Amino acid sequence: MSEDKNSNENKSVGAKGYILPAIVVAFSFAIIYTVVVAIPNLPSLKSEPSKYAMEYVEKEADGTIKRDEQGLPVLNDAGKGRAIYVREGCFYCHSQFVRPQDRDFGSRVFAGDYANETPNVLGTSRTGPDLSNEGGKLPDEWHVGHLKNPREYNPGSIMPSFSYLPDEDLGYLVSYLQTLGRKRMDDPENRHIYEAYYPEADEAFWHASEHHKPNVDSAAAANAGAGIFRQNCAVCHGLNGLGNGPNALAMAKKPANFSRPYYKAYSDKTWYWRVAEGVPGTRMPRWKLKLEPEQMWYLVAFLKTLPQDKSPIIEPYQTIDSEAWQSQSALPERITDNYEKLAKNKKKGGKSSKGGHGGH
Amino acid sequence: MIRRIFSSEEGSAAKFFMFSAIVWLIVGMGAGLLGALEFSFPDLTKGVAQLSFTRLRPAHVNTVAFGWLSMANIGACLYIIPALCKTKLFSEKLANFSCYLWNIGIFVGMLTLLNGYTEGREYAEYREPIDILFVVALGSVSYNLFRTLLNRTVKKLYVSVWYIMGAFFWMPIIFIVGNRTFVAMEGLNDGILNWFYGHNILGMWFTVLGVGIAYYMLPKMSGKPIWSHSLSMFGFWTIAFFYAPTGTHHLLQSPVPEWLKALAVIFSAALVIPVISVLVNFYMTMKGSWWMLTTNMPIRFVLTGAFWYLVTCLQGPFQATRGVNWYIHFTQWVVGHAHAALLGTFTFFVIGAIYYGLQRLTGKRIYSVRLVKWHFWLLLIGFFLFFASLTIGGLQQAVGWALGYPVAQWGLVLPPMWLVRSIGGVLMFLSSCLFGFNIYMTMREKPISSELEIKVAVPIEGDSK
Ligand code: HEC
Ligand code: HEC
Ligand code: HEM
Ligand code: HEM
Repeated sequence: MSEDKNSNENKSVGAKGYILPAIVVAFSFAIIYTVVVAIPNLPSLKSEPSKYAMEYVEKEADGTIKRDEQGLPVLNDAGKGRAIYVREGCFYCHSQFVRPQDRDFGSRVFAGDYANETPNVLGTSRTGPDLSNEGGKLPDEWHVGHLKNPREYNPGSIMPSFSYLPDEDLGYLVSYLQTLGRKRMDDPENRHIYEAYYPEADEAFWHASEHHKPNVDSAAAANAGAGIFRQNCAVCHGLNGLGNGPNALAMAKKPANFSRPYYKAYSDKTWYWRVAEGVPGTRMPRWKLKLEPEQMWYLVAFLKTLPQDKSPIIEPYQTIDSEAWQSQSALPERITDNYEKLAKNKKKGGKSSKGGHGGH
Repeated sequence: MIRRIFSSEEGSAAKFFMFSAIVWLIVGMGAGLLGALEFSFPDLTKGVAQLSFTRLRPAHVNTVAFGWLSMANIGACLYIIPALCKTKLFSEKLANFSCYLWNIGIFVGMLTLLNGYTEGREYAEYREPIDILFVVALGSVSYNLFRTLLNRTVKKLYVSVWYIMGAFFWMPIIFIVGNRTFVAMEGLNDGILNWFYGHNILGMWFTVLGVGIAYYMLPKMSGKPIWSHSLSMFGFWTIAFFYAPTGTHHLLQSPVPEWLKALAVIFSAALVIPVISVLVNFYMTMKGSWWMLTTNMPIRFVLTGAFWYLVTCLQGPFQATRGVNWYIHFTQWVVGHAHAALLGTFTFFVIGAIYYGLQRLTGKRIYSVRLVKWHFWLLLIGFFLFFASLTIGGLQQAVGWALGYPVAQWGLVLPPMWLVRSIGGVLMFLSSCLFGFNIYMTMREKPISSELEIKVAVPIEGDSK
C-alpha cells in the first residue's frame, strides 16, 4: 500500500527504509512478551495448588466443581466474600503475602497457595496489616463491628467505615476473612520453621532485660504478674492460663496451656524470651513492644507457678459475656496500687521501681 | 450536527483531546484529593459507598492516567506528528471520533468504578465494555497516526517520531494483554500478568510518549538542534529493549518464580542507561539557554519535568534492587515515586506541550501569562509537599518495619505526613483549576492575525497581559 502511495504522490515518502527497524521493534517485543508472560503461564510450569490453597467454589459430591445453569461455578460463602473484598478494594490497603522478614503476620505463603485465586489480591501497599493469616484470629462479631466502625475498635485507625455494606455482604466478607490462611496456621508440620531462635543468642536483648529485674521467685512478684496476666493475656490464655480464653475459641493455633507438666522444664530465661519475642507463626504477640522488661519478669514469676504435675481437664471455652468473667477479671486492689506506683515512678524518671513489690 | 461532531477542521481533534484532558485532570485530581483527605479524616464520607476511599482510588488513578495523561499526550501527539511529518493528519474525523469514544469510556468508567464495578487489578480496573471501547479508540488513533506517518513528506524521522510511534505500537498490545476482558489467568500468574501490564503502560506508554514530546519541545523552543541525534536513538532502542521484562519488580518479594525476579532486577538496573542518555541529551541541548527558564513558560514546565524525571529514575533502579525493595516496599514511598513519575514528570511535560501547542492550534494567545506562572508555582510547591511528605513517611514506615514494630504507624507517625500531602493536594487542585480557567479564557480571545506571529507565539513573560 505504501508502494502505490509513493508512485502516486511523489512528495510522500512512505515506509521505505523503515520496514526493517519496525520489524526489529515488533520482534524484540514479541520475544520479551513470550519470555515474561507466555512462558510462566505454560501449563507445565504453573504451580500446582498446595494443600493450603483456598477453596472458593462449591463442590459436587464427586469432587467436581458445581455449576449453575449458565455453566458458571457456584461460589461458596468465602468465594462470595472474596468477590466483595475485590469489589470494595480492600487490597489497596491490605497485602496478602508474608515475607520472610515480616513479624506478627503468621507463617509465610508460597506460590501454590494462590492457585485458585483470580484476580490476584497480593496488594502493593500495607496501609493496614497483612491479612494472609487473618482467619481465626478474631471472632466474627469483632470483624463485623470493626468493618462498620473501625475507630471504635481501634482508635486512630484510618480504615474506611464499610457501614454502607448490607449485612449479607458483611457476612460473606467475614467468612472470607475467616478462611484466610487458616489451614496453614493449623498445621503442626510448619512449626519447626519458626522455632529457630536460641534464647542465649542475643546479648543486647539479655542485657536490656536485666534492668529492674525483680526476684522472680517471690510470691509478691507472682501476684503482681497475675494482675498483668489478667489484663493482657487472659483473653487468649484464659484466667488460669489453661489456654481457654474467649479469643481462643476462634483461634486456629490455640494459645498455650501453661498447666501442662511440660512447662516445668522452662527456665526463667526461656519464659522471658517467649513472652518478649512472642511465638512466630502464631498469634502470640511480641510483648517486648508493649511491656517493660520489669513487667515481663513479673509475668515470668506468675507463669512459673502454673505448671502442674498433671494437667487438669480443660473446661469448655470461657465466653466473653459471662458475668463471672467480668467479676474475676477485675483487678484486685493491691495490684492496682502497685501499678499506680509503678506508673508514678516512671513519670518521675523511673529511678526506682523497688517500692511496692516484695522480694527484698 | 454530525458534521460538527466529526469535524474535519485541521487541528480540531488535537484541541478536542487537550480540552477533554484538562477537564479530566480537574475531576481526577478532585477524586485524588478527596481520597487523600480521607486519610486524615477517615469518617469524612462515612456511609456513602461512592465516596469511600476504596472506590475513589481506582476512579482517581484511572481518570488521571487514562483521562488526563493519556488524552493530553494523544492531543500533543496529534499536533506533533503531523508537524514533524510536514503533512496533515490522516483523518481528523476519525481522530474526533476516537476522542468521543475515549471521553465516553472515561465518563462511564468513572461512574462504574465509583459504583463498585471493577475488574480488581490495579490500572486495569475498568470493566469489559469499557475495555473494548478503549481498544477501539486506541486502535483508531494508532491507525490514524501510522497512516499520517506513511503520508509524510520528510525523509528522515526525527527521534520524537520514533518514541511516539513506538508507544502507539506497543500500547494496544499491552492493553489487550493486560485486561482480564481479553486474557484471564489464575493464581500468581494473574499477578505476574497484572504487573507486566501495570509496568508497561507506565514504561512503554507514558514514559515513551512523554520523552518523545519533550524531545520535540526542547529544540523547538530553545531554537537549537538536539545535542546528539545518535544518543537519542540509542536511548530509544535501549528503552524498547529493557523496559518490557521489568514488571516483576513490583512483586519482588512475593512468591513468584525467582528467575523472573532476577530478570526484572537486572533489566530495571539497566534502565539507568536510557534514562541517563535522555537526560544528558536534554541538559546538553539546553546548555547556554538556561536563561529561558525565567521567561519561557512551556520550557519551564518541560525542564521541571526533566528534573523530576531524574528523581524518579534515580529512585527506580535502586528500589528495584532486592535490598532497597526489602526496605521500601509496601510503604508510602512507592506512592511518592508513582506521583513523581506521572505527576512530577509527565504531567509537567505535557502541560508545557499544551501551552505551546494550543497557541499554534488555535492561533490565539494564552489569556494570561501571570496565571500560567501561578499555575506553575502552585503545582510545583504542592507537588513538592506531596512528594516530600510521602517519601519521609515511607522511610519512617520502613524503619518501623525493619526494627520489627507492628504495622501500627497509622496511629503514630504518618498522620502529619498525610495532612501535608492533602495540603499539597489542595494547592495542586487549585493550580489545575487556574489552568482550566486560563485555557477557557484563551478560547474566548480573538485570534492573532498574522501567520508569522502564530509561528513564534510562546507564552513568554512580558509578552501579553
Ligand atoms: C485506607 C486503607 C484501608 C482499607 C481500604 C481497608 N482497610 Fe482494613 N485496616 C486498615 C488499617 C489501617 C487497619 C489497622 C487498624 C484497625 O484495626 O482498624 C486495618 C485493619 C483491618 C483488619 C484487622 C486486622 C487485624 O488483624 O488486626 C481487618 C480484618 C481488615 N482491616 C479488613 C479489611 C477489609 C475486609 C477491607 C475491605 C472491605 C479493608 N480492611 C479495607 C486500613 C484499610
Ligand atoms: C492473641 C492471643 C494471645 C495473647 C493476648 C497472649 N498469648 Fe501467649 N500465646 C498465644 C498463642 C496462640 C501461643 C502459641 C501456643 C503454641 O505455641 O502452641 C502462645 C504462647 C505463649 C507462650 C509460649 C508457650 C510455649 O509453648 O513456649 C508463652 C510463654 C505465652 N504465650 C505467654 C503469654 C503472656 C505472658 C501473655 C500476656 C502478656 C500472652 N501470652 C498473651 C496467644 C496469646
Ligand atoms: C491533587 C492531586 C493528587 C492527589 C491529592 C492524589 C492523591 C492520591 C492518593 C491519595 C492515592 C492513593 C495512594 C494510596 O493508595 O496509598 C493516589 C494514587 C495514585 N495517583 Fe494520585 N493524586 C493526585 C494527582 C495525581 C496525578 C495528576 C496523577 C497522574 C497523572 C496521579 C497518579 C496516581 C497513581 C498512578 C496512583 C497509584 C499509586 C500507587 O499505586 O502506588 N495522581 N493519588
Ligand atoms: C527508570 C526506571 C524505573 C525503575 C527501575 C522503576 C522501578 C519501580 C519499582 C521497583 C517499583 C515498585 C516499588 C514497590 O512496590 O516496591 C515502582 C513503582 C512504580 N513506578 Fe517506577 N521505576 C522507574 C521509572 C518509572 C517511571 C518512568 C514511571 C512512570 C511512567 C514509574 C511509575 C511507577 C508507578 C506508578 C509505580 C507504582 C506502582 C504501584 O504500586 O501501583 N516508574 N517503580
